[in-house]
Amino acid sequence: MSSILSIQSITKFYGKIRALNQVTFEVPAGSVFGVLGPNGSGKTTLLGIVMDVLKASGGSYSWFGNPPSEQQRQQIGTLLETPNFYHYLSGEQNLRIAAGIKGKGESDIPRVLEIVKLTERKDSRFSTYSLGMKQRLAIASCLLGNPQVLVFDEPTNGLDPVGIAETREVIRQLAREGKTIVLASHLLDEVEKVCTHVAILQRGQLLTAGDVNEVLVNEDFIEVGAEPAQMANLQGLLAGLSGVKQVRPFEHHVQVFFGNGVMDTGELNRFCFEKGVVLNYLQLKKRSLESKFMELTEEKAKARIATAN
Amino acid sequence: MLKLLRVEWMKVKNYRTFWVLLAITIAIIPACSYGAYNLMNNSFPKVNGKSILGSPFAFPDVWQTVSWNSTLTFIIPAILIITLTTNEFTYKTHRQNIIDGWSRGQFIGVKLIEVGLISLLSTVVVMLTALGVGYFGNKVPDGLSVWEGFRFIPFYFVQMLSFTMIAFLLGLLIKRAGLAISIFLMYMLVEDIVVLVFRGHYKMNGMEYLPEEVTDRLIPQSYVKALVTTQEAARWESHLPIYLAVAVIYLIIYCLIAGRSFLKNDL
Repeated sequence: MSSILSIQSITKFYGKIRALNQVTFEVPAGSVFGVLGPNGSGKTTLLGIVMDVLKASGGSYSWFGNPPSEQQRQQIGTLLETPNFYHYLSGEQNLRIAAGIKGKGESDIPRVLEIVKLTERKDSRFSTYSLGMKQRLAIASCLLGNPQVLVFDEPTNGLDPVGIAETREVIRQLAREGKTIVLASHLLDEVEKVCTHVAILQRGQLLTAGDVNEVLVNEDFIEVGAEPAQMANLQGLLAGLSGVKQVRPFEHHVQVFFGNGVMDTGELNRFCFEKGVVLNYLQLKKRSLESKFMELTEEKAKARIATAN
Repeated sequence: MLKLLRVEWMKVKNYRTFWVLLAITIAIIPACSYGAYNLMNNSFPKVNGKSILGSPFAFPDVWQTVSWNSTLTFIIPAILIITLTTNEFTYKTHRQNIIDGWSRGQFIGVKLIEVGLISLLSTVVVMLTALGVGYFGNKVPDGLSVWEGFRFIPFYFVQMLSFTMIAFLLGLLIKRAGLAISIFLMYMLVEDIVVLVFRGHYKMNGMEYLPEEVTDRLIPQSYVKALVTTQEAARWESHLPIYLAVAVIYLIIYCLIAGRSFLKNDL
């Protein structure tokens, strides 16, 4: 799979603050690539650099295998940070400006307004739009000219639950059409539901990047539960089980993580039963991106403390 | 370039503040000269039916007079330029224009052209006003070409372009309309005071080459022409190329600062 965006050792300083540190990854063609990280992790800075509104302190990037240029940006639909439009103009007039800059015809404007359900309000001034409508207009602007690559930075910001669901569906539909989408978000759930690939950033440091299935490889775990009286016994039993890496206790169940692969649920059930613990709950679960993210960021924090000491 | 200008046109054609300020820019130039014309005709004593100030509104002096009068209105196009420039930063559309596919050079280039066009429009209005006042206010002396003294019109363009470029630069660097307009006015006032004190009082040389003063000198006041000695007139004539060259150097410096600031910095 060829690379749409290639980022090589990008570093960015704001004064003495290092916002990005040697970030390197590739966005494959046709992927939905999630750039994940908490607020302040450098997601928007990174996207700002590849869209030429910020200057990198070091490193390089290329779009479509070529050095960056304005002609490439015209072929990419981008929503970066907040919707930026002329407040005194209507939604449609703003889209005409965007179409003019992108070198696209104005004939596509009714289509994109319809997709984001803003046709009825197209003649209203942008300043009268709600936050969600502004966000939807920004998405409409991204879709002008039906670009093959889209960059969305927190696209569901300010949207109500219906708007969030609709936007996610628009992104899924775009993905089904084979478009490449770069999606920056601090919402782990959003990335997990939509993305095929992921890069995780924390404090400007790339923690991991790759196929969602690769990043989450061997991360399945089993949740088991028993009668309250047997919970302590169950926990001790599982901790001593060969191949178990970690047992996380919760109020009514425990999560069992394995070092390599995952144990067959039937085998685990039999093992517990033979040891005198009757399970009343047993489920194989795919580890969420959230837990992976928490583990990665915790590991990083521990490493930093160790280095400091 | 026409594509860029078309987009700029789309930005302003439905912007009421643009039209109001542009209308004032256009209307205030003839209004200012008409007021001065009436004032001169009605308020100054006449000797043998002629004003003691001579005929500043007749050809050939009308070009200089109307140009000088019009420089007093510089604040309106300056406010217009600052408003159009800072709007981009207020709405963050300068970022969006780049994201959507303009290069930074295209963005700053089309803004500079916009500054030039507004200065040019102002100059055309000055030219038409001078022609109108010259034809309708006074009889054209026999044997005199109406174009004699026309050189003050391009001088006016240079002066107006200097004002609007300073306004543009302040808008670009400060990014906030109110603050940029305040600093623009304060700078003009401070430079006048500096020139007055250091040149007028301390007789220091070089004050005439300050950015505002050097363009002021391109168009001397014509109402007191009768009082200007031949020696002073010859001195002005001999210094004119230097004033022009310095004014153009300042314009180039403004362009370089604007370009560097927008091309190199984070947006």
